[in-house]
Amino acid sequence: MKESRKHPYDELLASYSAGSLPLSQALCISTHLEHCPDCTRKLRRLNRVGSELMQQLQPAPATDALKQRLLDRLDTLTDTPAPAVAEAAPEASIPRALRQFVKKGYQDLSWRSVSANIQTVELCRDSNGARVELLKIKPGGSAVTHTHLGDEYTVVLEGSFSDEDGLYAQGDFVLRGKNEAHRPVATQDRECICLAVTEGPIQFTGLFSRLLNPFIRRSYA
Amino acid sequence: MPRMANNQSPGDKLTRLSECLDNVARHRDKQAFAQLFDHYAPLIRSYSLAREPGADLVADELVQEVMTRVWLKADKYNCKLANLNTWIFTLARNCRIDYLRRNSRYVTEIDPTDIFNDIEDEGPGPFQLAQQNRAEENIRTELKKLPREQAEILTKVYLEGKSHQQASEELQLPLGTVKSRVRLALKKLEVLVAR
Repeated sequence: MKESRKHPYDELLASYSAGSLPLSQALCISTHLEHCPDCTRKLRRLNRVGSELMQQLQPAPATDALKQRLLDRLDTLTDTPAPAVAEAAPEASIPRALRQFVKKGYQDLSWRSVSANIQTVELCRDSNGARVELLKIKPGGSAVTHTHLGDEYTVVLEGSFSDEDGLYAQGDFVLRGKNEAHRPVATQDRECICLAVTEGPIQFTGLFSRLLNPFIRRSYA
Repeated sequence: MPRMANNQSPGDKLTRLSECLDNVARHRDKQAFAQLFDHYAPLIRSYSLAREPGADLVADELVQEVMTRVWLKADKYNCKLANLNTWIFTLARNCRIDYLRRNSRYVTEIDPTDIFNDIEDEGPGPFQLAQQNRAEENIRTELKKLPREQAEILTKVYLEGKSHQQASEELQLPLGTVKSRVRLALKKLEVLVAR
């Protein structure tokens, strides 16, 4: 999967275009797309694939009653009004897909320390149980080496980090599969904030931190 | 698998429908809207039935949702970002996602609205636009030439809304085979061609 590092691989982007991904994964892809004109162009073509497939369907006729009902209603339809001037407009740097969770800025969220270098805030859970959270790593700080029992999707929101395979900057999309151990380290110049979606409990692989596993697992229960 | 319609001459029809949408946007033209309904409602129903065979009420509801958005958002449609068919497809997809979320047994706290809305950038320049249109025309012709097993997977993913995992179970194929068929199909369609 090396060639697709930093971008979602093509089959994944196709499933996003088709609308057949869990929303937590779609959230990551949408966040990446805001930063990536190349993937956005690909997405337009992928949408076209969906559109052509739809055009090839054998039409299933609609009843006149359905049509009439809709026509009769047209004059009463109004667009959902834009939210009356939000009390706290999100900062411009917050990706649109995340604004439902980050109402103002990243710093205003209730961060929780999980280690000397890392803070986290859970945004929500998806229907498949995936955990959606933000991670904040101190400048030069590193996460504990870990693997996951499910896939882990990461998008860099601010700053940058590196791991065994390379350096990831704002907007980069990283997918780590099951059992791929890695150890992200934030670059020295500034803290790194990432969106992370984890589909199964994380497993710490270091000798000492393995002791943490029972506690961590419980938090996913 | 949903049945496929016979070939139709798509270019002229699309032009006519695009004019209808324009009339809806500019003049709130109900007759033009009715023409859009006549063309798209059966396709939207069919798209819904591909995922939930036999669920006619769900299909009707999807038609109402999508066509309502067409009426309300006609003036927001940007032909530089997607042709009308593609716009309708993305609306139908978004409405279906929304419907599934509201009616799922499994709760998700994620609101799809801002995840799938088009990112309204400045749009491609004229050169890019021409290039993009060529690439997209190619998709139409190549789609018809795809080997059956690749077309079948795309249908599962795009129309039936299946995950790769579900597709692999239904077709009794290894997950890797499903993914590589999607990938091969996209390659043939030149979706992945150089930027």
